[in-house]
Amino acid sequence: MIEVEALVKRYGSTTAVDGLTFTARPGTVTGFLGPDGAGKSTTMRMIVGLERPTAGTATVDGRRYAELDAPLHSVGVMLDARSVHPGRTAFRHLLAQARTHGIPRSRVDEVIAMTGLEPVAHRRAGTYSLGMGQRLGIAGALLGDPGTLILDEPVNGLDPDGVLWVRRLVRDLAAEGRTVLLSSHLMHELALCADRVVIIGRGRLLADAPVHEIVERSGGTLEEAYLQLTAGAVQYRGRATTSPTTTTAGDAR
Amino acid sequence: MSAHAVAAPRAARPAAGRGAMTFRGVLAAEWTKVTSLRAPYWAAAATAVACGLLTYVSANASSVDPGFDPLDSLTSGVLLAQVGPLVLGVLVGTGEFATGTFRTTFATVPRRLPVLAAQVVVTAAFAVVAALLAVIAAVAGILPAASGRGIAVDLTADGTPQVLVGTALYLVGLALCGLAAGALLRRTVPALVGILVLVLVLPVGLSLATDGGTGPAAPAGAVPADPASTLVTFTPSGAASFLTAPPGGGGVAGAPDLGPWGAAAVLAAWALVPLVAAAVRLRRRDLV
Ligand SMILES: Nc1ncnc2c1ncn2[C@@H]1O[C@H](COP(=O)(O)OP(=O)(O)OP(=O)(O)O)[C@@H](O)[C@H]1O
Ligand SMILES: [Mg+2]
Repeated sequence: MIEVEALVKRYGSTTAVDGLTFTARPGTVTGFLGPDGAGKSTTMRMIVGLERPTAGTATVDGRRYAELDAPLHSVGVMLDARSVHPGRTAFRHLLAQARTHGIPRSRVDEVIAMTGLEPVAHRRAGTYSLGMGQRLGIAGALLGDPGTLILDEPVNGLDPDGVLWVRRLVRDLAAEGRTVLLSSHLMHELALCADRVVIIGRGRLLADAPVHEIVERSGGTLEEAYLQLTAGAVQYRGRATTSPTTTTAGDAR
Repeated sequence: MSAHAVAAPRAARPAAGRGAMTFRGVLAAEWTKVTSLRAPYWAAAATAVACGLLTYVSANASSVDPGFDPLDSLTSGVLLAQVGPLVLGVLVGTGEFATGTFRTTFATVPRRLPVLAAQVVVTAAFAVVAALLAVIAAVAGILPAASGRGIAVDLTADGTPQVLVGTALYLVGLALCGLAAGALLRRTVPALVGILVLVLVLPVGLSLATDGGTGPAAPAGAVPADPASTLVTFTPSGAASFLTAPPGGGGVAGAPDLGPWGAAAVLAAWALVPLVAAAVRLRRRDLV
């Protein structure tokens, strides 16, 4: 279980996370949504102790992440596929991670098999494609067989086969009673795999409800609901070059 | 990749028998990391090869002197052998941050400091091997010149054991200085340039500036104390001259005589001070 309470993170004058409160519960896939720069990754980094909150708390199973005796067994983390030394093979990268907790080599082989990395496991990670790197990140998150998983855009860069695999994987993990917090920009995907969504914009909570409830409320798809909810919180908006008029669903800051 | 890696049927999560994170584990992990890259091996090999070659060339050049003593050439390769351990240390220190591996590492070990401590141990261990190889290469480097002049080399006499041990310790110390600089600065190029300037360029520059030149220590009192020479003595390589010379030797004219223990303390300070600063930064600051 992940509990985020009144979490605030400021970088100088930028407020990346602004009083965010939500809970991700066991047995549930919680989708974490929001426009670019909304503060999703920052929130996840604070949960796993890479960054210190300016205010507020984030706990996993009631404890601050840094106080966990066996972080790998409590929380599986995948924040960024570029969290590997390009000169190291997937196998050695995972083995090093496993050794910190005395996890046997056989478990490393297991997660390599689960993520389909066998053909490249002994190749240097610098030669991997985006999707392979993503699979390696997921393999690392699964290594300790943790009760909680935090995955930042796990399907980013995966092929359709991989997307389907992640969907089944997170469903299975939740069915086993684990807590899964997963960020993504792919609404169709989230509609299929998330039970609940937490939507944030500019660091603030916009919605926190079961997927079906949010969809029913808007009367359309999850994507339409998301666009309505975040219309006023989009900070970075591209403009169509072909049409002279731009839709003004919300102010671009 | 078309691996149909469907989530394998998972056994119920074992409740017991799951170990906690331990320092031993972190140590094993850091050893796995260092030994799974190519650069550390290259650095170790380069240290030994550079040391052996330069010693060989230098001994051969000196062997034409009438009073040639091969043991005088024993540490002539250290000048080049210094680079390898520095590179090794810097790469261990910056590797996490230069590549993004730090996210994996510190999400796995959120207490952070055990990682730095383990890196110190692992770097020292790896550097010990490199230093031993370098010393062996140096001994091998003087043998051809010695046998050419028909001189028997006795490594057990005249403080030679101290020279060999001191040289090895100096090279290990340099690796730790490199690690400290790398861990503090987190960026490979600034750390490498900084530490190479400190160890290789600064002493030469200071010596040239004072026109003093480096030579065997003058008899006490013969040369007035000179600030530039004193500065040179307190650089890692300046202090090291007391470690790589036979007992009573080493040092620069016009500078204090540190002796081997004082020299070791100076070298240790060059590693410890930035290491403590790196530890404070690691502990206090966000990792982004
Ligand atoms: N280290 C940092 N220093 C300064 N500002 C930062 C830092 N990290 C994040 N920010 C800012 O905090 C805000 C939130 O960023 P964050 O990466 O958490 O967004 P996100 O929701 O993950 O976006 P995306 O969907 O694009 O991944 C942004 O405005 C970003 O510029
Ligand atoms: Mg993000």
